Amino acid sequence: MLLRLTRVAKFYGNRLVIKDVSFEVSAGTVTLLAGPNGAGKSTLLKLMAGLSRPSAGSVEHGAAPDASGDALGYLGHQTFIYPELTAFENLAFWARLHGLAPERCSEEALLAALERMELKRFAFERAGGFSRGMAQRLNLARVLLLSPSLLLLDEPGTGLDTRSMAILHREIAAARDRGAGIVWISHSVAEDLARADRVLAIADKRVVYSGPAADYVPEAVAC
Amino acid sequence: MLSAALAIASKDLRLLLSRGTGLVQALLLGLLLIFVFSLSQRVGEVMGPQGAAAIFWLASAFCQVLIFNTLFAIEEANGARFGLLLAPVPVQAVWLGKGIAGFTLLLCAQAVFLPAAIVFLGQTVSPLWHVGLATVLLADVGIVALGALLGALSQGQAARESLLSIVLFPLLVPVLLAGIRVGAAAFADDIPEGVESWLGLVAAFDALFLGAGIVLFPFVYGGEE
Repeated sequence: MLLRLTRVAKFYGNRLVIKDVSFEVSAGTVTLLAGPNGAGKSTLLKLMAGLSRPSAGSVEHGAAPDASGDALGYLGHQTFIYPELTAFENLAFWARLHGLAPERCSEEALLAALERMELKRFAFERAGGFSRGMAQRLNLARVLLLSPSLLLLDEPGTGLDTRSMAILHREIAAARDRGAGIVWISHSVAEDLARADRVLAIADKRVVYSGPAADYVPEAVAC
Repeated sequence: MLSAALAIASKDLRLLLSRGTGLVQALLLGLLLIFVFSLSQRVGEVMGPQGAAAIFWLASAFCQVLIFNTLFAIEEANGARFGLLLAPVPVQAVWLGKGIAGFTLLLCAQAVFLPAAIVFLGQTVSPLWHVGLATVLLADVGIVALGALLGALSQGQAARESLLSIVLFPLLVPVLLAGIRVGAAAFADDIPEGVESWLGLVAAFDALFLGAGIVLFPFVYGGEE
């Protein structure tokens, strides 16, 4: 078990966003988080990341950071990049902040991470000049550099071109193959269903489906 | 935690020093203050050491507000704050990193303000300059500890620049008074009376706000929006 949510609820002021969510993430699985706009998917992901505290219930993380990587990687709507720094400087900063071993934050390792995202030739250009797709690929490079055992993705494909989407899908599959647990909010659920093992669907502030992706019928649960 | 704090500080210094973001405005504001006060003197009139020290500290205080607003604002542009919060280190590393960067930038600014105060306010460097320098360093520790705490508090608020000024300046009064009183030694020929008490006050201020920063920072810098 990488992550366990038990009867989680979240209020913003007096407004209830989600309630009674219980859910578990296992290693080597992709869970698609589905639901209409405003259903509380991003809030749920932030609760999983520890960026927000639940109003009720508990969020337990099963993995701790070790020499092989971080416990958690989070890819949100925002890219987390510093536009004034180059792509290389951005990666170097995150590697240093996360205390990666010297061989994992060497110049070669950072350039290899950029190469994997097809950004190596832009390594020493300011990230502020990048397109949305390039910025998101740099963000993905940042997350994957940390080799997280739990990967939380909040609509990572928004605004990406076909090539960037292909890279994103390749890296999600690679992360699953190395044993990472992935929770993924997708803006095109029908399309990404085939890439998922499980689905957690939220509607009307509560879980309306939790089970295998193969049995999930979006229309049947009004998502 | 120290290595993460140093990573944050060196990234901030790289951003602010190499690209001039934020620091130039802070320097210009401080220099403008010193220059405008210099115009208030009559021709041939020389300002007293305490008056000059007061203007120096006023410039430093305004500069500090701009520095910490900039230091925390750079984390908001693309949501980088969330990235900092997800790092596997105590959140106080952010406070410490911002404090180290703020301390360095404030010292850089003061290294410009001091000669400007000497030139524009007609001061001379006294043989007791080291007492003034020690006071500046000691007072700066408390000032940046408080600035890094309250700078985080004001982020995400409307009119954050004015909010930081409003909450920061009243709390800075004791350390500014001590800085003015003892810092005047840099421009005077004798050590002011009660210097030990004033330095004790600054040391207590430093200890109080270093402790407050460590304890309170996780409550003011989080992922909730």
